[in-house]
Amino acid sequence: MNFDVGLGQYYEAKSPIHTLDPRVKLFFVIVFMVATFVAKNVVAFIPLLVFILLCVIMSRVPARVILKGLKSLTFIILFTAALNVFFSKGETLLFNPIEIIPGFWTLTAYREGLINAGILAGRIIILLVGTTLFFSYTTTPIELTDGIETALAPLKKIKVPVHEFAMMMTIALRFIPTLTEETSKIMNAQKSRGADYSSGGLIKRAKALVPIVIPLFVSSFRRADELATAMECRGYRGGVGRTRMKVLKMKAWDYVFMLLSLCLLAGVILLNIYLNGVVYTL
Amino acid sequence: MAIIELNNVCFKYGKKTPYEINALDNVSLTIEENVITGLIGHTGSGKSTLVQMLNGLLKPDSGSVIVDGQRLWEKPKKIGNIRFKVGMVMQYPEYQLFAETVREDIAYGPKNMGLSPEEIEKRVARSVEFCGLDQSILDKSPFDLSGGQKRRVALAGVMAMEPKILILDEPAAGLDPKGRREILGGIKKFKEESGTSVIVVSHSMEDMAMYCDRVIVMSHSHVIANGSCEEIFSNRELLNNAGLDVPEITNIVNSLKNIGTQLPDNIYTVDGAFNFLLQLYKQGKGGTQ
Repeated sequence: MNFDVGLGQYYEAKSPIHTLDPRVKLFFVIVFMVATFVAKNVVAFIPLLVFILLCVIMSRVPARVILKGLKSLTFIILFTAALNVFFSKGETLLFNPIEIIPGFWTLTAYREGLINAGILAGRIIILLVGTTLFFSYTTTPIELTDGIETALAPLKKIKVPVHEFAMMMTIALRFIPTLTEETSKIMNAQKSRGADYSSGGLIKRAKALVPIVIPLFVSSFRRADELATAMECRGYRGGVGRTRMKVLKMKAWDYVFMLLSLCLLAGVILLNIYLNGVVYTL
Repeated sequence: MAIIELNNVCFKYGKKTPYEINALDNVSLTIEENVITGLIGHTGSGKSTLVQMLNGLLKPDSGSVIVDGQRLWEKPKKIGNIRFKVGMVMQYPEYQLFAETVREDIAYGPKNMGLSPEEIEKRVARSVEFCGLDQSILDKSPFDLSGGQKRRVALAGVMAMEPKILILDEPAAGLDPKGRREILGGIKKFKEESGTSVIVVSHSMEDMAMYCDRVIVMSHSHVIANGSCEEIFSNRELLNNAGLDVPEITNIVNSLKNIGTQLPDNIYTVDGAFNFLLQLYKQGKGGTQ
């Protein structure tokens, strides 16, 4: 059994964010991404930060859960930030250059680089919190694929098999926990027979995976076969004429939220233009 | 003598998450050497968690597990060694088969133990026999076998490690009555010839009554009874409280008693009931009653 709550697991709660139409969430995340990349100065980030914080509070997902999700990406964020501090050029030096390998590499850091790094890190964090909050913590994978399917429905006109893709996605997502459980079962079984995954060189470790991967493949094929039969038995024949149990319907709150997200984007753009002269100031 | 000893073992799944589940709550018990011990309990009572404690697949949050005089988790890096002493057959073990031939698959465990090729060959042949399989099966692919044969090959893979303690989680689940008898009979034979201590997890009261010497009853993360077959299966109240049933035959015997037939309390297998009723019938014919 695997109960790990990590990056991107649905967090059950009743909140205005949970009840948003998945299409609106899709729309918001796209607008939000654009806004985050458009924001060019520190001040323009403030509305984004405030907005996302309000969303987090409204969603009733505990900050602990979200921070835990961020923790796994700390290294990547810090690494990108460090690259920006030490490898970008600017005007004001932060400290006297230090020669690390004489004549070859001199460590320098500029004020502009530091600000750049800060903005970049902030951008990554805001984006991560925004997308995970809307796509995984408050939306079940099924709702999300439903949303994608209806949002892309017009593409059916040009013969894109939208329903089939959505069904494939739903099935793939549905079987992630099943496969995780299966993997841990098989690992336990092989461990009981003396398998050792944690010692030896790279090749030895790769070889130790064979007794896990093969049974996993075999059971996945078996399961796919069974699922296909079960679906056929229940009369599944693709997307044509298929009705839904839950029909997505936009409510007043959904329109309000769409309007709010457009306001956010407009605000960020205005701040950008208004503060054009004072771009890099802290 | 006790070969396994658990002292105040606690275990939780998903600690500090909204999904926290208490799986073992302050469990203490001893398991005797050289007997077949049955472990029964309703779904989710903690049986599987308990057996995974015994070969170090799970680490108790608190409390100690002592196997064959050795305390587990004293040296966490060496935990793998205990698995050669405590063999474990998981539920539906046929899904763990992976090698190209049955021979290679059964040899996987012994190979991990670092045994010589001759010794491995010997053990493979022996364990195949215990499981009631033909030697000709050794060169076949495990994926070409029937369900029951796969199950037995997987069982042989653990038996070939010749562990001091053999744990089986639902070894007969999903098999027909003939398959059940063969597998469980094979395990009993293996125990008698090799002196292994066996622990069987099962839902089937009939199987337990037939093959086990001692029975442990679990309910809601606790061990609520640990005794001989007679003690456990004659205690209907205890079993009902644990969400279990007495064996079917005990119910029949009880109905007979209710209509006035004189029967002892300790009949809980079909064979036992048959013998006793036969005796009663003969007595009746002799004119004593």
